[in-house]
Amino acid sequence: MSSRPDQLYLPKLAVLDRVVDEIAEVRTFYWHFEDPAEQAAFKRFKPGQFAQVSLFGIGEFPASLPPSPTEDETFFTIRTVGSCTSALHALKPGDQFGVRGPYGNGFPMDAYAGRDLVFVAGGIGLIPLRSCIIYAMAHREQYGRIQIFYGAKSPTELMYLSDLKQWEKAAGIECHLTVDRADPSWQGHTGVVGSLFKQDGVNLDPAKTTAFVCGPPIMFRFVIQDLKGMGFEDHNIVSTLERYMKCGVGKCGHCCIGVAYVCVDGPVFTFEQIRKLGEEI
Amino acid sequence: MRARILAKTDVLKLVDLLRRDYEVIAPFPGRGRDSAFDVVTDENRHNIAIHLPNPYYPPKRYVLPHLEQLMRIKKTDGGYQLTPSYDETPRAIFGIRSCDVAGIVHQDRFYLGRDYRDDHYEHRRRNLFLVNVVCSDPERDIDENCFCVCTDTGPAAREGFDLQLMDLGDVFLVAAGTDRGEALFEAPFFVKGTAEHIARRRAILSEVRKRFKTMTSWFAATVRYVSQGKILDKTWQEIGSRCLECGGCTYVCPACTCFTVSDRRIGPDEFERVRLWDACALSGFTRMAGGHNPRHAVHDRRNRRFFRKLAHYFIQRELSMACVGCGRCVAVCHGDIGMPSVVEMIRRATVEIEATDVEPT
Repeated sequence: MSSRPDQLYLPKLAVLDRVVDEIAEVRTFYWHFEDPAEQAAFKRFKPGQFAQVSLFGIGEFPASLPPSPTEDETFFTIRTVGSCTSALHALKPGDQFGVRGPYGNGFPMDAYAGRDLVFVAGGIGLIPLRSCIIYAMAHREQYGRIQIFYGAKSPTELMYLSDLKQWEKAAGIECHLTVDRADPSWQGHTGVVGSLFKQDGVNLDPAKTTAFVCGPPIMFRFVIQDLKGMGFEDHNIVSTLERYMKCGVGKCGHCCIGVAYVCVDGPVFTFEQIRKLGEEI
Repeated sequence: MRARILAKTDVLKLVDLLRRDYEVIAPFPGRGRDSAFDVVTDENRHNIAIHLPNPYYPPKRYVLPHLEQLMRIKKTDGGYQLTPSYDETPRAIFGIRSCDVAGIVHQDRFYLGRDYRDDHYEHRRRNLFLVNVVCSDPERDIDENCFCVCTDTGPAAREGFDLQLMDLGDVFLVAAGTDRGEALFEAPFFVKGTAEHIARRRAILSEVRKRFKTMTSWFAATVRYVSQGKILDKTWQEIGSRCLECGGCTYVCPACTCFTVSDRRIGPDEFERVRLWDACALSGFTRMAGGHNPRHAVHDRRNRRFFRKLAHYFIQRELSMACVGCGRCVAVCHGDIGMPSVVEMIRRATVEIEATDVEPT
């Protein structure tokens, strides 16, 4: 990548359009840049990249980009966890905030051409994978079989309900859902996300499949075990990591894991790369 | 490199020449061992010292200040107005030591190279003129903590300066490292040197080099062990257990680059976004919103500092080790885990590292 002489840390002004509740404490924020030229430039982002979101007077935080570049709208899906995310949740449509990016390597979507894709997500781990799923469906002919395995703690914790409904019905994609604890309304599968692999009709061909895994650390560990048990090789398992970040451009040093700066060398890593970072993730 | 001779009585003429175009920074002696960089004025110019202990607070702050405003954020009717802030003051550091020049060269490669160019750093750096002074006086310039001969960054810098002064006893030999440095040779107080001056420079340097402690070979071995992941957890824990998590080593380090960013109110409708030095020793360094901290144990964080400084991968990436041998971390560390001590602890653990290489079959 060549050097970029622009104003590295200066956010571009964005306007909040509307807010949609996802699950408890998690909302999707639709927004656009004030400057249409910025919007057009930003729309060249790749699935798996992220942006730095500024709440002026509060601070800045890194956020995954759940939309696919093939979609029209730009949005973030954010859980309230700290001061910045709380400030974002307090914004009203029409309010201004700042965005800079896109940053990070993103998923090399062309490299998966001809392969089967398996998405394994737990909880809000679906947020960074959503972009990749929508992108793959928009370029359906480039890929083999596409399967989604998504688990949440309970039915009320399932993200992106309208997307899930669409994926369950859509041709050319198999969507398997599970919850750890069912409630009376739940008709589907119960158990951890890995238990979906043992369901009838589920079979994966490890040699021709790339698996995308994203979720809480404990889920990540068990799913990796399951996939390796099926014969997946480390370079065919892909994930996206998150870290405390201040700059997003490889300077502040907070996101380093071993030899990698998650912001510029990642956030997308194969499990083979993760093992060689030289530090626990 | 072209060089000229400067009479000892003409040193302040050079300082004054620089003061015409630059805000000049120079080291001044304080009480006891203390010394500090400060702005040269008409009042203090006679107190500038050529030979003195290198100040603990490194001149890195003239390219990467301890606290730096990145932008001003003004609230307007229904929106915000953002103005980036740059420091473009033409500045010269007179009397910067070779280790600190190497520190700035390292910062240059980190902040101006790689994927993105840091515009705030660049504005300061391109307006900065460096007059390096070679450490040639073993009594006053070099102390027991110095180890630049091990990091190959001294006692005479080879790059990164505009002018380099070396005390030959009766005169200074001044070498130009850049065109804008050489342009100053037009001044009438610079006179031509002879081959004898160059020979004397070489003789002094070779004599000075003998005054440093020798740990060169172990530095190289440590780089290898760290890069290969061969340091035992036990050794990292031993090093970590001596860390008091004060962050001092980072704040005096000419090669440390990490910063954090914070927004602060500066008026009724105005904020500033600043960056401040940060330290991987501090527990909040990797703590994410929500409280999860991937680098929880103190030895993980100590491990991080030395891994970042010594791993081959980063040395290749920046083309220089993130340690310049200035010895400041040795002086400030309460737990005696400055860089040379860590190298020594790893050397002592080598027997155990090697024991893990061979297994009975």
